[in-house]
Amino acid sequence: MKDQIEATQTEALERIGNIEDARSLEDARVAILGKQGSLTKLSAGMREVPKEQKAEVGQLLNAARQAITAALEEAKSALQAAADSKALEGVDLTLPPRPLHTGSLHPLTLIRDEATSILRRMGFALAEGPEIEDEFHCFDALNTPEDHPARNEKDTFYFDSGKLLRTHTSSVQIRTMETGRPPVRIIAPGSAYRRDEIDATHLSVFNQLEGLYVDADVSLGDLKGTLEYFFHELFGSDTDVRFRPHFFPFTEPSFEIDVKLHVKGQAPKWIEVAGCGMVDPAVFESIDAGRKDDAFDPAKVTGFAFGMGLDRLAMIRWGIKDIRLLIENDARFLRQFA
Amino acid sequence: MNVSLNWLATHVDLKGKSPDELDKLLTFAGVEVEGIEVKGVPSDTIVVAQIKEAVQHPNADKLKVTQVDAGEGQLRQIVCGAQNYQVGDKVPCCLPGTDLGGFVIKEAKMRGEESKGMLAAASEIGLTDVEDGLMILPEDAEVGRPVKELFDADVLLEVEVTPNRPDLLSHYGMAREMATLLEVPFVDLQIPERGATVAKGIRLEAADACPYYTAVRISGVEVKESPSWLKERLEAIGLRPINNIVDITNFVLHELGQPLHAFDDAKVSGGIVVRTAKDGEVFQALDEADYPLEPEDCVISDESGAALALGGVMGGLDSGVVEGTTNILLESAYFTPSRIRRTSRRTALMSDSSYRFERGVDPAGVDRASALAVKLILELAGGTVEGSTMAAGEAPVVTTAVGLHLDQLDQLTGGSISHDDAASILTRLGLRKDEAGLWEVPSFRADLQRHIDLVEEIVRVKGLDAVPSRLRGSFVPSSAVDHAYDADMRLRHRLAGLGFHECQTIKLISDAQLADALPLKPLRDGDTIRVSLPLSEDHAVMRPSLAPGLIASAARNLRQGAESLRLFEMGRFFRNAGGGKARDLESDSLAILLSGPRRPAGWDGNPGTQDLYDLLAVVQALIPGETVRLSPRERDGWALGADLQAAGQNLGSFAMLLPARQRELDATAPIFVAEIDLQKLRKLSAVSTEIDDLPQFPGSSRDAAIDAPVDLPNAEIEKALAKVKEPLLASYECFDLFVDPSGERLAADRKSIAYRLHYRSAEKTLKTKQVDQAHQGILDHLTKSLPIRFR
Repeated sequence: MKDQIEATQTEALERIGNIEDARSLEDARVAILGKQGSLTKLSAGMREVPKEQKAEVGQLLNAARQAITAALEEAKSALQAAADSKALEGVDLTLPPRPLHTGSLHPLTLIRDEATSILRRMGFALAEGPEIEDEFHCFDALNTPEDHPARNEKDTFYFDSGKLLRTHTSSVQIRTMETGRPPVRIIAPGSAYRRDEIDATHLSVFNQLEGLYVDADVSLGDLKGTLEYFFHELFGSDTDVRFRPHFFPFTEPSFEIDVKLHVKGQAPKWIEVAGCGMVDPAVFESIDAGRKDDAFDPAKVTGFAFGMGLDRLAMIRWGIKDIRLLIENDARFLRQFA
Repeated sequence: MNVSLNWLATHVDLKGKSPDELDKLLTFAGVEVEGIEVKGVPSDTIVVAQIKEAVQHPNADKLKVTQVDAGEGQLRQIVCGAQNYQVGDKVPCCLPGTDLGGFVIKEAKMRGEESKGMLAAASEIGLTDVEDGLMILPEDAEVGRPVKELFDADVLLEVEVTPNRPDLLSHYGMAREMATLLEVPFVDLQIPERGATVAKGIRLEAADACPYYTAVRISGVEVKESPSWLKERLEAIGLRPINNIVDITNFVLHELGQPLHAFDDAKVSGGIVVRTAKDGEVFQALDEADYPLEPEDCVISDESGAALALGGVMGGLDSGVVEGTTNILLESAYFTPSRIRRTSRRTALMSDSSYRFERGVDPAGVDRASALAVKLILELAGGTVEGSTMAAGEAPVVTTAVGLHLDQLDQLTGGSISHDDAASILTRLGLRKDEAGLWEVPSFRADLQRHIDLVEEIVRVKGLDAVPSRLRGSFVPSSAVDHAYDADMRLRHRLAGLGFHECQTIKLISDAQLADALPLKPLRDGDTIRVSLPLSEDHAVMRPSLAPGLIASAARNLRQGAESLRLFEMGRFFRNAGGGKARDLESDSLAILLSGPRRPAGWDGNPGTQDLYDLLAVVQALIPGETVRLSPRERDGWALGADLQAAGQNLGSFAMLLPARQRELDATAPIFVAEIDLQKLRKLSAVSTEIDDLPQFPGSSRDAAIDAPVDLPNAEIEKALAKVKEPLLASYECFDLFVDPSGERLAADRKSIAYRLHYRSAEKTLKTKQVDQAHQGILDHLTKSLPIRFR
């Protein structure tokens, strides 16, 4: 019996040692450990082993079973390892990636979001108004007289109804003050329209960002501090910002804002980026007349307003030379903003 | 407006000021300097030369070979292409070695002929061209002398004056402003007193439009060329000298800012009548065009009724001073700005006069300008003033005394400008504090009417640098617009993440593009909004849908060779509703377009072509919490039209471009477009505030392989499944679809569609029997309600 066990173990281990695939591994396991397997049969012979030898033979059988099971496990691992490494053979790590669509946000969205984010962080809330406006909100309420040069069919798109396409987002100032009360602290990004032929520097539909802050004791210092901070955030904290006196009908005093831009290989130059000013008291008076109250009494509140061209900011940010690129949506252009 | 520094220097000492310093001075005074031009090349090698001979170039039709005397003792041969000279004329000659701003003149052979230098046009040597071709120098210019000795070098400033500052639209006014800012003396003009006036000779019928009209009659003038100092003044600012009388009126306009007009008195029958236009009156202007007038226009006519000029805007064709005129009538007047603006706008006639009158001239300047012009005419054209100046009406008072509220000044400037400084600035600007403490404003500053206007002046002159910045602001609540903005940005980022490029298109489209519209609700006649005067047919209609712009963008990219398109745009659309009953509605939508290969070309084979289910998947990805389905709806001009549905509502429109339209765009793959109501999408895309607990007990799945007629839509099966209301059915999905048009593996009129149904209880682990029972119940219901069988 002991010899039989030893012989069976030797034979089994030899067979396992020669195994080359999963099929022969399974055949070997069945042939050795299966119901009719060689070792199983030997185990069945335990019944005939004399009592005094049972312990010894039992130990031998156990040892043989352990050795064979271990060998089978080892063979199985080796086979798996071989299969695993075979599966990865010939993978060309140097192939290019499998292509995916990479989308992008439009540059005007990017610059608008950047500007908006800065200003919202500074406590401005968003506001909006209609793009098909009436003359009152676009001009009259903004202290722009009836015979002002902007108010003619050559420069402004009118409709047969007498309404017009707003020429600036400043109309949102009026819309907001008509319904709200101080403090008003809003920004309004949006489209504006001017009857300009489309060329490399003009679009008939362009994008502005309007801002308005009205409260008790809003001063020129607030105007200056707010816009300096804004342009430092947008163009870098070491950017020079200057305020040039200017004229707008709805602010007084009024300024245009220039930032000094450093373009590689060029002398630094001042670029106009925005208009701003203290809200003209006539605007407040017109609001209160419409509201029939004194919420915006110019003796009690002051405010500043500003407006900037987002298309222009985008052109400055990315050095875009032809504004039409912003409306043509050529994927070769858009892809660069992915 | 062009400003000559030499001219300014007659009123203010600008010596030692560089052009850059002047630029800065004006810029911070609120005058935009658009250009600075240094006139005259200060070169010793540009000399006066006389043309002695000019013969045809043997090898070039358009060139002549000249021999010129440049004072060198021998003639110099120069090849020249100009045609405007005669032999004997004196012209500028650039000798070899002359540097014309980087361009150096050399001796050369031109078409085989020696050319030792260049004969120059005025613009080539930094002066203003007054005629095409060579600059013809005065006969008395000495041959060989540098040309720069004949002409003062000058600096020309091109400035943009804001509409509130008409007082700066003259050299006198600009110099006055600069003297104020520089705190240096202003040199006034010596102008004789006008003397007494008579009312006779002028009938002022239109005092609203022209409150003050004066005229002086001068007889026996000689109309001739102006002296060189006058011509140079005008040429320096780009005006062409005409004759002494016209040149004097132009000079006075640019000196004092007061437009004048000189009539040939022989053309004036009797006295002057200042009246409004008659019904149907047509005015023939200097430019020889006819202008129909309206009763609000102001006409200067004579007693016969013949129009001499359109008041303040332009002279008539026949009434002006010409060679041979001996008696003139010199007009100086004040016209009401708004009237001039309306006339000028309507007739589209603009002139240096109307430009100034519509902004408002200094009422006190009317008499001064007249007196200055009369003085110059007598000096340069001779003649005698006939009688007294005729004057009708009164120079209007356009200014008033204004209070400066110091507490408000302090509030606005944060107290950074002292009251003394403020008073000193106003005084320098010509204001005077009266006994009541109000500031009297000079007549040329009609823009200063209110306290805030004085503040503006103080801040302008002082500069914003003096005001310290302050960083603070009130807290305000976020608005509905904030929330919509955030939702839109989330959607944009998600679409970009899904491989879409965001587009922005012009909101005005053409009529033809309306056919590409995919509006949320159908458009009826009268629902589109059209601008009255479009710039072009391409931009005539407000877009009622974003699809047309997106399709145009797709077409552009297809032309550029793009194959795989994934584009979207978000923004406003404009329409009426109910055939124009509700007007000017504005709302926001999202349009998505896709076409072509599912992925860009790669090395692992064909990824397939994007179809409507890809687009549907994109919409689904924007609102993962909802079930998105299409509900077929015919749309004119589109294929596969459908409504996009989710959460029990219509989200928008969905369709495929008609194959014919697709071919028009040269697209090889079908193009699918969805347009979605952004207001609804924002709400549905918000992350839910209620979340489900994870299931406590395992679930179990069963498949249902259905053999159905090929035209039985999925929606019918889903409807039947929903009808069962089996409480254990947690979810299901369609996981296989097979059709075989050839009929080989499945009858062509059948399809095999398979669903996996997931069963689960929230209370316990289900037994196999319970699941089987529930599943069988569903299958039974489906067989009963639909023409299907199970495989």
